[in-house]
Amino acid sequence: MPVWHKATQEWVKQGRLIVLGIAQEQHGDRCRLYAQWQKFDFPILHDPINLIGAKVVPLMLAIDEQGIVRAVGPKLEDFEDTFLNKDFLAGKAAPPPAAKPSAPDIDALQIKAKQSNSIEAWRSFGDGLILWHGSDRLDEAIGAYTHSLQIDPTDDLSQFRLGVCFLKRHESGSRQPGDFQKAADLWGQALETDPNQYIWRRRIQQYGPRLNKPYPFYDWMAQAQTEVKERGEEPVAIQFPLSGSEIAQPMRKFLADSEKASSPDPDGLLARDTAGLIKAEAAVVPSRVRSGKSIRVHIDFLPSESLEAHWNNEAEPLRIWVDLPEGWETKSLLLSAPQPEEIESIEMRHIDFGILTPEGLDPGPIQITAYALYYVCEGKNGTCQFLRKDIKIQIEIVK
Amino acid sequence: MKMNSWMLLLIFGLFFSKTALTAPQSYPPQVGTVHPDFVLPQIDSRQPVSLSQFRGKKVLLINFASW
Repeated sequence: MPVWHKATQEWVKQGRLIVLGIAQEQHGDRCRLYAQWQKFDFPILHDPINLIGAKVVPLMLAIDEQGIVRAVGPKLEDFEDTFLNKDFLAGKAAPPPAAKPSAPDIDALQIKAKQSNSIEAWRSFGDGLILWHGSDRLDEAIGAYTHSLQIDPTDDLSQFRLGVCFLKRHESGSRQPGDFQKAADLWGQALETDPNQYIWRRRIQQYGPRLNKPYPFYDWMAQAQTEVKERGEEPVAIQFPLSGSEIAQPMRKFLADSEKASSPDPDGLLARDTAGLIKAEAAVVPSRVRSGKSIRVHIDFLPSESLEAHWNNEAEPLRIWVDLPEGWETKSLLLSAPQPEEIESIEMRHIDFGILTPEGLDPGPIQITAYALYYVCEGKNGTCQFLRKDIKIQIEIVK
Repeated sequence: MKMNSWMLLLIFGLFFSKTALTAPQSYPPQVGTVHPDFVLPQIDSRQPVSLSQFRGKKVLLINFASW
């Protein structure tokens, strides 16, 4: 991408070429930071739901004045000769541009969906909602895609896009229990139908085991933020922090040092968080795994709003202990989540870690247990307690 | 004969309606064909942008991701 950007800048200035980018990723802010870092000056569109249908990236198309595709995957070395300098109009005048578009009429899409009750119409209604209204009408988008899946439960496009909605809701203030796991499940189902859809596969890999990643995801981000600041610019703010699964460094391999850690509450004597001051939720990516393969477990911890619960950051950070059965491997059985500098806070905390399943497991569900230890306070100036929460991690072993 | 024609039509209709529901999207379009128009939001301003608004110009369309 940076190579093409540099090579095409002069042609764009000369008015000979329009460069139009389409970002095929869930988080627009991350792509915006990348564009800021790379000083991309061409328009970039956001396609988190893969509306275009591209199956791989990067994918470049050279399109002439009439909208006709002249090259898929053009070569930079002969781009000027075979495309830019070529007269595709054969003496005809260039067609006029279409008027600037407006966002789709959501009401019209809804009426069409209800009247036709077709899978395409419900999917289009969902597309309109998620692309143009984002977090504001997320529940409606979820409803629209759910509707299309009721018509055809195997519709992979609806499965993938519904997964995008669930992850978006999980990362919003209106998250519902199970949203993250539903996203992973749906993406897995979509990929089973179309295993060659690399964009979908990458979405699972983003949250899956590090060992399954052919190359890092967002390891560039720290360098980008530093270099943008050094230029005297404010880096694009990142709305949702990266999980450990989205970076390759500093850890790339499992280390067999699990035996060094010991359970902080081996006899289970610590008081449980029976009031639910902290809500914990585990998700597994991929949700179905073959024996001997690895998975990534994500656990989110959210202080209860109704109980006015908040973290006490003067004490030690949130930790979790994973009770792995014999033969299962992970980097460390005892993990902790970073905490902010302020004395009290209410943010959602996240811990994720890889697990390598042993060979020879029978297909079926397996439950792994873990527990979290944390300091949490109830109400304003209320009591702070050190509590334990037991967590169940469901893993589906498949053939 | 009449019955057979109706049956053929029915089979044809079922085949194509199912195909329309399950056929994978064909992307990228073949060289020499018109790229389907689309409208997507600009990543920073959220303004709608279409491919057809650039008609009359040569376009390099780049699908990419920052990862």
